[in-house]
Parts: sequence; structure tokens; C-alpha cells
Amino acid sequence: MSDAERTLTLPTRWSQAASSWRDALGTLAVVARRDRFALVGIIIYVAFFAIALLSPVLAPYNPQELNYLPGGDVAANLPPSLSHPMGTTNLGRDIFSQLLYGSRAALMVGFVAALGVVILGTLVGLVAGYYGGWVDTVLMRLADVAFGVPFLPMAIVLVAFLGPNIWNVVLVMTLLLWRDTGRIIRAQVLSLRERSYIEAARVLGASHTRTMFVHIAPNVLPLSFLYGSLAIGWAILTEASISFLGFGDPNVISWGFMLQDAYNSQALARQAFHWFVPPGVCIMLAVMAGFFISRGYEELLFPRLRRR
Amino acid sequence: MALLDVERLSVEYQTLQGTVRAVRDVSFSLPPGRALGLVGESGCGKTTLARALIGVLPRNARITEGAVRFEGTDLLRLPADQFNDYRWRRIAMVPQAAMDSLDPVQRVGDQMVETIVLRGNLTRAAAADRARELFAMVGLQPDRLRLYPHELSGGMKQRAVIAMALALRPPLVIADEPVTALDVIVQHQVLQTLRDLREALGVSLLLITHDISVVASLCDDVAVMYAGRIVESGTVRQVFAEPRHPYTMGLRNAFPSLRAEQEHLVPIEGYPPDLAHPPQGCAFTARCPFAIPRCWEEDPVLRAEGDGQEAACHRAHEAPVLRVQAAEAFARLAGDEIRSAPREAC
Amino acid sequence: MKRIAFVLSRLLQTVLVLLLVATMLFLIFRLMPGNPLVAYLDPTFTEDMERQLRAQFGLDKPLHVQYALFLRNAVRGEFGNSFFTREPVNEVIWTVLPNTLLLTLSALLLAYAVGIAGGALLAARRGTWIEHWGIPAVLATRAAPEFWVGMLALAIFSFSLQWFPLGGATSPGSVFASNWTRIFSGDFLQHLALPALTLALYLQGLPTLLMRNSMLEVMDEDFITFARMRGLPERTVVLRHAARNALLPVVTAFALGIGYSIGGNVIIETVFSWPGLGRTLVRAVAAKDYPVAQAAFLMIAAVMIFMNFVADLFYSLLDPRVSYERR
Repeated sequence: MSDAERTLTLPTRWSQAASSWRDALGTLAVVARRDRFALVGIIIYVAFFAIALLSPVLAPYNPQELNYLPGGDVAANLPPSLSHPMGTTNLGRDIFSQLLYGSRAALMVGFVAALGVVILGTLVGLVAGYYGGWVDTVLMRLADVAFGVPFLPMAIVLVAFLGPNIWNVVLVMTLLLWRDTGRIIRAQVLSLRERSYIEAARVLGASHTRTMFVHIAPNVLPLSFLYGSLAIGWAILTEASISFLGFGDPNVISWGFMLQDAYNSQALARQAFHWFVPPGVCIMLAVMAGFFISRGYEELLFPRLRRR
Repeated sequence: MALLDVERLSVEYQTLQGTVRAVRDVSFSLPPGRALGLVGESGCGKTTLARALIGVLPRNARITEGAVRFEGTDLLRLPADQFNDYRWRRIAMVPQAAMDSLDPVQRVGDQMVETIVLRGNLTRAAAADRARELFAMVGLQPDRLRLYPHELSGGMKQRAVIAMALALRPPLVIADEPVTALDVIVQHQVLQTLRDLREALGVSLLLITHDISVVASLCDDVAVMYAGRIVESGTVRQVFAEPRHPYTMGLRNAFPSLRAEQEHLVPIEGYPPDLAHPPQGCAFTARCPFAIPRCWEEDPVLRAEGDGQEAACHRAHEAPVLRVQAAEAFARLAGDEIRSAPREAC
Repeated sequence: MKRIAFVLSRLLQTVLVLLLVATMLFLIFRLMPGNPLVAYLDPTFTEDMERQLRAQFGLDKPLHVQYALFLRNAVRGEFGNSFFTREPVNEVIWTVLPNTLLLTLSALLLAYAVGIAGGALLAARRGTWIEHWGIPAVLATRAAPEFWVGMLALAIFSFSLQWFPLGGATSPGSVFASNWTRIFSGDFLQHLALPALTLALYLQGLPTLLMRNSMLEVMDEDFITFARMRGLPERTVVLRHAARNALLPVVTAFALGIGYSIGGNVIIETVFSWPGLGRTLVRAVAAKDYPVAQAAFLMIAAVMIFMNFVADLFYSLLDPRVSYERR
């Protein structure tokens, strides 16, 4: 095939590729339709997204602001009331407003970290599986090492050194969590590489990059999404854990931060359930939503599980 | 009195494609000491029938009607625990997947002893002796009992499962494709073992296979199944020498015979019908070279054709003429192409 | 022979991974911004004193020499003294290690006992309300943050009902003749109960789901059908044949779980003020006590990587079919 011909066929092939990428995304709709739990998961995320976007409107107070009683005293440790639906912290901050704003941190960390994990994991898996040889060996030994790293301790050490900043938390999670996705994608690519249409693409003169991204990538994408939806949950949990241990971003209100605040401020001794129950429930819902969506994907991708 | 009497047995599967009637209205009887061969293509319902007889069906299968009388008792009417008394003590089975039928993480001997102790009420020591005796009986060295299943060859596993079936001296053994997965030489050895055991022990045998040569070498009687139904039955001699049903004629031409040298093998073209949507009329019509308009309309019933032979065909009375034309007629249907390779039906 | 070769090659791989993790740790501690002596330094120190101090810790040498020193000391198990308490790091680690191991093992054993039984039950009751609500419930225990569950447990059972102590491993002021009498004292068990139960609640999810899937898969196998045909009692079929085979992946996960939960104990130990490896690490990192942080991290990593190796061996021992060739 001459260069001119190749350029001529480019647009159609690219649009084909684009449509298969769209199909991969479209499976989310199929998953939602087929699996009730996955639908619940999607609804939870949609609700949290709405809350995160509208939190400045919905929140009755500035979450960082200290509130005062009419007499001038700090409105500390108030039980739930009409003006403070979930009461106040020991410094007089409104817990309900903190909870609403906390969704921002959770979603941001969860989705950005999951995106990072999926992109890095998929890239590593694609390159390792496609090129094979020493590239594969090096990347998979790297994955072995990543599996040998104790996850949370490493996250703590890294965040402590890089500085308590929410983007560092995201970076650390991406660097540590790509391993599962990478391995699975590699295995999938290995089996795809042998299929005839991939060979055909190579024979027709498609470059390595094109073959990888136009012909192979769309086929492994649903699998990436499966691991991505799991990674959202893990990332939210990890962020909460890091914040709880005191290595989180002190300028960002997250659910983990709220729980650390409550723990350190004797909320347990005061039996201030209204303070530390809601953030935990929110974390649990967000993580479960990720589990539900990934289960829906799994049943779509591996229907053998469904029949059982 | 017959040892086993099956009456109008029907089994259905619930599948995503709908209800599949895998066994339809099957009746036959097996006198004590005889060997009955049940022959047909894969998917014709013979394995389902066998599993219905021992009462271990897949989860989505259900017996819809009929009776399975064993020594006069209808097993299907028995409470579960009483049916269980018959399993292995009275009716044993060599399942189709004999290769995968042994627990991979336990020694073969332990599985044998477990069965004998739990179902035969012997002590462990007596059971161990019995296991050695059984292994010797099927031609395996007793020290093989100490091995794990993956350490045995396919033929040895098959023999081990046969030994297991004989453990409690059952009057009836059902063998489902006992030699199919084995290579030819081992097939002959295992068949010889089965024949010797039958003579020595006098057990009755219900042999299920797609291979009519196996039936010919081992059985007294034969029943031919097609699409969940018995289409012809009788003694092996009658049915194979003078088949009355075109399907039996086709089968006879499609398989290499152990005894007679055959010049050509003629496959039966086409596939069995989809039993989720069974066709009107005779189920074999679409593949039958002798089909007449009536075959498309009306399903023939199994009728006595004299001397104990039965066939379900509207043209059974013309059988002597059809038999002569059969090879050529099937070949014509197969596109005038006479192939020399046997059609692998399983 | 094959088996020995298999074990050796796995062992080599294990050592290699450990070496790489240790190297990463070294680089993080040496190359990250911030002076590792920050905690030691005092504004009143003269430049000379600071130089002396750097020499004392070997920080004046080139990086590769430092690396060689670090590896030599790590192999010998010498990690110097804590920046704060001036205690030898080894002593710090050896005091807290038994606590961590006891917490992890008791929680894991409980979690796997419950998980295996629960998973088998979920498989046996497929399609009933037990499965319908059981699986989301198990997922919820995996989704709930451990430290939050710990907080709830503390608030309810310790602060409100006062059934359990508020934290720590022993009551303040109690004295024991030896570590063994301490571990077997009622006081210790009372302290252990709540953190172990909380940890077990979290850990139980994996074996439960694993056992269920494995069990469902095995129940469809031909050898189970054959066992049924033989008329074996249902109990024998399910327990002796199905569960035994279904357990293989679960047992492997158990060995892996020891490694992973020692890493994850960081959280539970902090909530319950449990004097273990994880809490030691968290406090050392927070206080920039590098010798202790390094040693605690290496210890956690070593246990985890070693347990991965043990899991591999376990699997090859349990399943007679596994051949000792490289996967």
C-alpha cells in the first residue's frame, strides 16, 4: 500500500476506531440496564457529583468557619439542631457543611487517581503485552516489585516526604495501584495479539502505535474500566486512611479528615455519633458504588459468573 | 420380571432458549443379566436419560413424567433417602466424563474405600481389601490405589471408575460412553474387560454410546435414540441385520464395523433438530432420504414389527426395499460424495 | 529435583524483590527534600557540630558508599538508634513485632474461619434471600473504612458499654514476669479482643467471596456429580470433596493475607493505640524519626514479601497437580 493510499484510508479507519472507543464507553449503559446493583452504584456517584458541584449552594455555612452563639461564645460541640443539622465540631464548625464539601475531595481523589491508574496500567499492559521480549520482562518485574511494596506504609512514607498535598496523594496512589490493571491488560493483549485481524493490520502497514491504540486498545478498554471502577473505591478509601493517619492535606476538607478531627477531639468519649457516623457512611457508599459497578462489568464481561 | 422397566419417561431442561425436551416419552425394559445398548448421536438425550435413571440430573433439568421401575419399585415415587439406597448398591454408573470423575486432591484408593465404607457398611480394613480385589479384577495393579488421579493414564482412570462401579456388587451397571475418550488399543482392552466382567459377574448392563460397533461387540439388545426418542429397538442381531428405521440404516452405513469389512462409509447429512423447538411430524424427516409427505405431518409411534423388534417409521413395512437403497440414498443426500472418513458424532 | 529448583528460583525472586524494595526505600529517604537530621538539629549547633553529626551518621560519604553501608547494616539487622528515645532501633522493633503478629494472626484465623463457613453457606444457598442480601452485606464490610468501624466499636463497646479497654495492649501500670506471661494474661486478651474483631470483620470479606466463587465452580465439576451418583451423603459430598477442592485458592489467599494485613495494620493499630509495627511506623514517619521508620518499613516489607513466597509454596504443596515449572 502506498503512502497516498494509506492517508486516504486514514479517516475511515480513525472513525472506526473512534466508534469502537465509543462502544467501550457505551457498555456502561448496558451494565446499568442489566444489573440492578450497578445501577445503584451509578446513581450513588451521580448523587455525589451533584452534591459536590452544588455544595457552595447547599452548604449552610463555610465548612472552615468557626460559628458563634448569640452570646458570643464558640458554638462548639452542639448536638444536631435545625440550624446545624449534624451539630458542630469542637471548634464550632458546621459538620453538615463539612460533609457536603467532603464529597469534592473524595470524588476528585477517587476519579483522578482511578484515571491515573487506568491510564498507567493500560499503557504498561499494552506495551508489555504487545512488544513482549525484554520490554515485557522489565515491566512485569516492575509489577512484581510494586506487588512487594506494602501499600499503605509506602503511601504514608511517600506522602510524608512529598508533602501533605492532595495531588501528592493522587500521585502516590497512581504509582502504587497500576500493578493489577497492568498485569490483567497484559494477559489480555497477549491473547489478542495472536488474532488474525491484528496481524492483518500489521501486514497492511499499520504502525506499532496505531496497531496498539486503534486495534488493540478498544478491545481491552472494558477490562480497564472494570479495574478503574474498583480503583475509584480503593483510592477514596486510601485517601481517607491517609487523612485519618494525619498525613492528608490540611487545607482540604475530606471525610477522612473529618474522622481524624473527630477522633482526635474526643468525639468518641463524648458519644458524638452525629459527628463521626455520617462521614464513614459516605465513604462506605462511595466505595460500595465502585464495587457494584465493577461487579456489573464483570458479569457482562464474564457471563459465566452470571449464569451461576 | 424385568430388572429395569422405564415407562414413558420425559425429561426437560430450562435454558435461556426456552424449555428443551431432551428425553421424550421413552419406554424400554431390561431383563436381568442382559446387556442393552442405547445408541444415538450426541445430543439425542441418552446421557440425560442415564442420569435420570440414577437420579442425578443437572440443576436445570426436571423429570416431567414417567416411571423408572427397578425390580418392580418406581424409583421416582420414592422419598429421596430411599432412592439413595438404590444408588450404587443396586444401580451403579460409569459416567461419560470418567476422566474427570475422580476427586483430584484425594488418592484413588481413598475414594474407593470411602464409597465402600459409607455405602457398603464395611470396615475400613475390609474395604481396603475389597478395593485391592476390585483393582485386580479390572486389570489394575493394586498398588496403584495409592496414586492421585492425575498420576493415572486415561485408560487406568477408566478402569478405576469401572472398579468403583462394581464395588457394591450392583445388579445393574449403566456405562455412558465408557471407551469414547480412549485411544483405539486401550478401547479394545477396556471393552474386553467389560465383556469378561459381565460374564464373570452376571451384571446387567445399560451401555450408552454413539458407536454402534461397541454395541455390537458387547450387547444383546439395542435401542436407537433420535431427538429424545427411541426410534427402533430389538435384539442386536435383528436391528443391525435388518434395520426397520432409516436412521438405523444410516447409522449402520456411517460407522466402521468391527466385524464386517465395509467398502464405504456414508455420513448422515445435517443435524438433529433443535429440541427447544421440535419440528412437526417425524423428527428425522429433514435428514431422511425416504421421507414422504406424511412424515412432515404426523409423528410415527413405536410399533411392533414382529419378533420383538419395534420401529417408529411410517414406511417400516417397506424396510426390506429401503435397506437395499439406503447407502446410495444417504450418499445422494450428502451431495453424491461418498467419504471414507467416519462421521464423528460425539 | 524439580521441586528444589522451583523453591530455589522462587526464593531468588523473593530476595531480588526485597532488595529492590529496600533500594527504593533508601532512595526515598536520601533523595527526598528535607534534611534527614532536622530532628537532631538545634539552632544552637555550630557548623562544626553539624558536620560531626553528619559524619556520625555517614551522611558525608558519597551516595553509593552510603548505599553499601545501608545494605550491609540492613543484612546485619543494625539500624542504629532512634533519633528521639536514643533506644536501639532493633529493640523498638522486637518489642512491637509480637504484638503485630498476634493481632494479625488472631484476626486472620477468625476471619478465615468465618469466611470459609460463610462462603460455603452463600454457595449452598444460591438464589435465596441469604445470597441476595449476604453479598452486598459482605461488600459493605469491605467498603467500610477500617478505622471508622474501629471508632464505632470504641464509641459503643468501650466508651458507652465499657466492655473493653480504650486502647493499648495492656492496662497501664501492669507488670509481667515475661513476654509470655503477658501474652497469655486475661488483661492482654481483653485488649486484643476489639482490635482483632474489627480487623477480622474487615478481613473476612475476601475469604467469604473467594470461597463462594470457588465453591460454586467446584460444585459444577464432574467429580461432584460422580460423588452424588455414588449416593454419598450430602455432607460428605460438600465437605470432603467440594470444600476440600474449593479451599485451595482460599488457603493461598490466607498466606498472602498475612503479608498484606501486616502492611494494612497501620490503620487498626493507630485507632486502638495498639503498640505494633504499623503504629510505630506512623509515629516515626510523623516525627521524622528516620532510623525507626526505615526499620519498621523494611520489617513490614520483608514479612509481606516472604509471605508471598510462602503462599506459592503452600499452593504447590496442597495441590498435587501443580508442576514445579515456572508459570
